[in-house]
Amino acid sequence: MISDITMGQFFPGKSVIHRLDPRVKLCLTVYFIVLIFCAQNFVTMAATIFMCLLGIALSRVPLKLYLKSLKPILFIVVFTGVLNLFYGTGEPLVQLGFITITRNGILNSIMIAVRIVVLILISSILTFTTSPTQLTDAIERLLKPLALLHVPVHEFAMMMTIALRFVPTLLEETEKIMAAQKARGADMESGGLVQRIQALIPVLIPLFVSAFRRAFDLATAMESRCYHGGAGRTKMKVLKFGRVDFVSLAICAAFLAAFIALNILIPPAVVR
Amino acid sequence: MNFIECRALRFAYGEESGEVLHGVDLDIRKGEFIALLGHNGCGKSTMAKLFNGMLVPTAGTVLVDGIDTAVEETQLDVRRRVGLVQQNPDNQLVAGIVEEDVAFGPENLGVPPAEIRRRVDAALKAVNMYEYREHAPHKLSGGQKQRIAIAGVIAMETECIVLDEPTAMLDPRGRQEVMDTITYLNREKGITIVLITHYMDEAVRADRVVVMDDGQVLLDGDPRTVFAQVELLKRHHLDVPQATELVYRLNAAGCSIAGTPLNEDECVAAIEAYIRKNHLPVTGRNAGNAV
Repeated sequence: MISDITMGQFFPGKSVIHRLDPRVKLCLTVYFIVLIFCAQNFVTMAATIFMCLLGIALSRVPLKLYLKSLKPILFIVVFTGVLNLFYGTGEPLVQLGFITITRNGILNSIMIAVRIVVLILISSILTFTTSPTQLTDAIERLLKPLALLHVPVHEFAMMMTIALRFVPTLLEETEKIMAAQKARGADMESGGLVQRIQALIPVLIPLFVSAFRRAFDLATAMESRCYHGGAGRTKMKVLKFGRVDFVSLAICAAFLAAFIALNILIPPAVVR
Repeated sequence: MNFIECRALRFAYGEESGEVLHGVDLDIRKGEFIALLGHNGCGKSTMAKLFNGMLVPTAGTVLVDGIDTAVEETQLDVRRRVGLVQQNPDNQLVAGIVEEDVAFGPENLGVPPAEIRRRVDAALKAVNMYEYREHAPHKLSGGQKQRIAIAGVIAMETECIVLDEPTAMLDPRGRQEVMDTITYLNREKGITIVLITHYMDEAVRADRVVVMDDGQVLLDGDPRTVFAQVELLKRHHLDVPQATELVYRLNAAGCSIAGTPLNEDECVAAIEAYIRKNHLPVTGRNAGNAV
């Protein structure tokens, strides 16, 4: 079923990572992604990878899911890796015509590949353990200061909530319209690219029309339920910092100190 | 005490599109269960949106609990008193999780979190959907979604719910669920119900039936009085409940069955009484059971 992609890749559970405040999780995700790209030598790199693996272990989400999330980016990893291979500077190790491979090039490509893999894994931890609603909520709270600069933070969060809510509904509808058009003899599976795109028009037009009708109904429903923007609004679920959050923030702060020290003390792996 | 008062209510969607309502006078009392009937385009959905100030009368007034719906500043007060449930269950749920959707109304009203929690739980229990509170709405059946929409309205502690053809897109089971919920809320919680429908069998469950035709009130009274006027209703292309229709046709064919039965049981009883009275021979396979 295509409507299964909708819950994102959220994998419900009760692990430590699941219980973390979504705001903390979101910040830590960004934090570790920055760190993995700042790691200059093997020690800090290994340490960051270790933290990432620790997160995976603590999340109690089957390892298979993480591996699956890596599959679609395999090509990008290999592609950037190979590309970086040829752009190394310094003493050439191998020289094949115009292709030069240096020690730096090899190290560089390995590091880039590892970085992309870790990047995906870290963001997977976030999406596997946080429901879309929690995520929207976290984004709204974190961006709240921007509201002072007249950035419509609440409106963006509301739009995201509604979009997430309606993805499955619209997907279901697309399936229905496609079935209906097929029953009327529409051919969607043959022909070249142009024909196929043309065949989608009878699907898209009814979908758009109905989406607008839905939007109109939804606006009525929201207004009927006293929606009048973000001002004066409260929330049923208030995000609260717990012990887990403080402990993990403390650990990550300590890790940052160690990371900076080691990154400076130990010479970088790739000499530029 | 009148909860909603419509006086000489006129409404047009635009200058050139013509008037939809031509002077409607209607009073809805507190705690009443009223069914609003009429065929397509008679203005009954327009009425629904006029009751909670989503639409404002072109002429005349709508007063909700004494508040004029046309006044911009007090519209929130109107909407927290009169909730609206629409036809399509998919298009009125806002959040991706049942309990968060129910919380949407109270959140808008700025109710403190603990109180929202209490109201959401109470509302979900009232519509019998408490165990589904953490589900995603798109995985529920139509009847369940519609009950969530009702819960979303009662979580605002509205005193009146206007339902605009809430069962039109549901299967018979979902229809039954929604009707039972509405009846329960009216009888047990004292919530005023305005049910807009074109199913006559739903209308007979109301205390009072208002029939609209061409932007005006045609008939207003308790179900039995209204449906007794079969010919008038037929002239305006309106149906009557099946049981009423059957007796009407039998009478037209020469019988003289007394009363206006509104449901199956009453129909059986009426025909039985007629048969007894006239000492007619009862034949047929199921004759014994049916009578």
